[in-house]
Amino acid sequence: MHLHSFVLKDLFRRKTKLMVAVLGVVVAAAAIVAVITTFSVAEESFHEATNKFGANVVVRPAIESIPLVDGYSTMGSLYAGNNYIDESDIQKIYTIRDNASLSVVAPRLYGIAELEGSSVVVMGIDPEQERNLKPWWMVRGHWLTDEDTEVPEALLGSDIAVPLGLTEGSMISLSRENISIDVRVAGVIESTGDNEDGYVILPLATSQYLLSQEGKVSSLEVRALCNACPVEEMSQQIEGVLPGIEARAMSQIVQNEMAIVDHTRSSAMAVSIITLLVSTLTVASTMLASINEKMKEIGIMRAIGASDIQIVSMLFFEGALIGAVGGFIGFFVGTLASFIAAPMLVSETPDPMWNILLPVVGVCIFTGMLASLVPAKRALGIDPAEVLRSV
Amino acid sequence: MSDENNVIGQVHEQDMIRVTDVTKNYSLGSGEVEVLHGINMSVKKGEFVSIMGQSGSGKTTLMNLIGMLDSPTDGSISINGTEITGRSQKELVQMRRKTAGFIFQQFHLIPSLTAYENVALPLVFAGEKDEGAVAKAMEKVGLHHRMHHRPSEMSGGEQQRVAIARAVVMQPQILLADEPTGALDAVTGAKIMSLLKSLAGEMTVIMVTHNRELADHSDRIIELQDGYVKISI
Repeated sequence: MHLHSFVLKDLFRRKTKLMVAVLGVVVAAAAIVAVITTFSVAEESFHEATNKFGANVVVRPAIESIPLVDGYSTMGSLYAGNNYIDESDIQKIYTIRDNASLSVVAPRLYGIAELEGSSVVVMGIDPEQERNLKPWWMVRGHWLTDEDTEVPEALLGSDIAVPLGLTEGSMISLSRENISIDVRVAGVIESTGDNEDGYVILPLATSQYLLSQEGKVSSLEVRALCNACPVEEMSQQIEGVLPGIEARAMSQIVQNEMAIVDHTRSSAMAVSIITLLVSTLTVASTMLASINEKMKEIGIMRAIGASDIQIVSMLFFEGALIGAVGGFIGFFVGTLASFIAAPMLVSETPDPMWNILLPVVGVCIFTGMLASLVPAKRALGIDPAEVLRSV
Repeated sequence: MSDENNVIGQVHEQDMIRVTDVTKNYSLGSGEVEVLHGINMSVKKGEFVSIMGQSGSGKTTLMNLIGMLDSPTDGSISINGTEITGRSQKELVQMRRKTAGFIFQQFHLIPSLTAYENVALPLVFAGEKDEGAVAKAMEKVGLHHRMHHRPSEMSGGEQQRVAIARAVVMQPQILLADEPTGALDAVTGAKIMSLLKSLAGEMTVIMVTHNRELADHSDRIIELQDGYVKISI
């Protein structure tokens, strides 16, 4: 027989008390697992959603404006710097340190052209990159192709297409100064409520020809997959590889929403930790009550040769065992709870987080042992002579 | 061994236990109660001694002091010429494991354990393996066939015999029995007494009782009254 088998037998003798103590740990462990699992899937879902938000870094030529002041009168500003970025420089962005996080680098060229006697904003794009950047655009017709087509194609914003009655296949003529091109409408973008509702969108090369800006782009919209990457730092890295440009992080909304998720998670975790503390007290009080019941037995054990270390080790083993069983069951209960809670929060069912099973059981074992401290102190104070005299 | 110890050993060659001027005080509220007042006694090796006295006379206290469960307030106790007073708790536990076995009036078996496991407990605490010691002890008390029964499945007499097996499993030099028949009927009590008597000689037996008839089974009777040795027969 081993000392620990004695503890096991003793625990099974006191099944009800054992269940109460284990239940306390189960509740705490389940709360922690449910919070971690639910908020983990919520965070993933949130990041997935934010990856569809569009660009989170906008790269523009750095233009300095110098105010022109004559005495007390302002006479406008003098702008210094280049208005365009060289298209050949775009590849340099992929040399930044965090290039693995770069998902989309979409060049844009803006300019004004004439359509049916009216001025319209022309936006040149890289069709493939733009499609990745704006997955929510609903196009009636088809998307622009990268391949050279016999007749150039364009996408129209709804504010242009609808009044002019233009649909997929319609032919339009765009002109600027002495350049004129005939373009076939590939599709009409359903209203997004954003600027593109009033744009004529052309492939980059076509727009560069029309606007006489070959090899130039006005800006770059960059989408970084930022579950963990620092967008501000990436902006600085881009400025480092592209001198004369300004890279501005658009992370405020994302950060605010992440702050809400973090705050909610912290609150839930705080509740879990309080539950863990309560469970520690439950285990401690259950064990303390059992010490009171077992005073006679502890006295006998000391009389027949149990040392202080053996008595304490039995109590710690009991606490650790309660913690381990409670933590193990709590993991599954918590996972089950997250299967119910997570779909309500983010419409997704999480996978069990097996990687937290051991840490959770470890924390519960530690909690059980912590709860054994007071009973152990009490047990060490038992005077066998006194106990045996009183029974 | 020092010369001084040799001299003590020679002077009291036959004394297994020597109690010298032992007093024991207990705190009671704001004051102190002196339970034993300068007790002097000695017990020879293999002797069967009964300590008699009324309730509160200090007999159990004296037994606990000899069994190293408690320490005297004053005076000294030596076992086999080795002073046990003033030793650390750890030393006392180690000495107790090898030297003393206890039998209690209420048997004090662990209810969740079988007879075998109860008897094996002192070996477990001493970190020793059971190499037939438990079976031998159970055989000695005539309960070899009841090894795997729990205390609740045994009669009072059987439980006390299991307790005796537990007390002798480590082959202690001293067997300390506190009212061993107090919870048993007369017939069963007589059987237990006869068992204890058979153990005397093999080991020193000190029995605490207030029953004169039982005490008469022993080689010698030490009677306590109000914490003093009244008579030693």
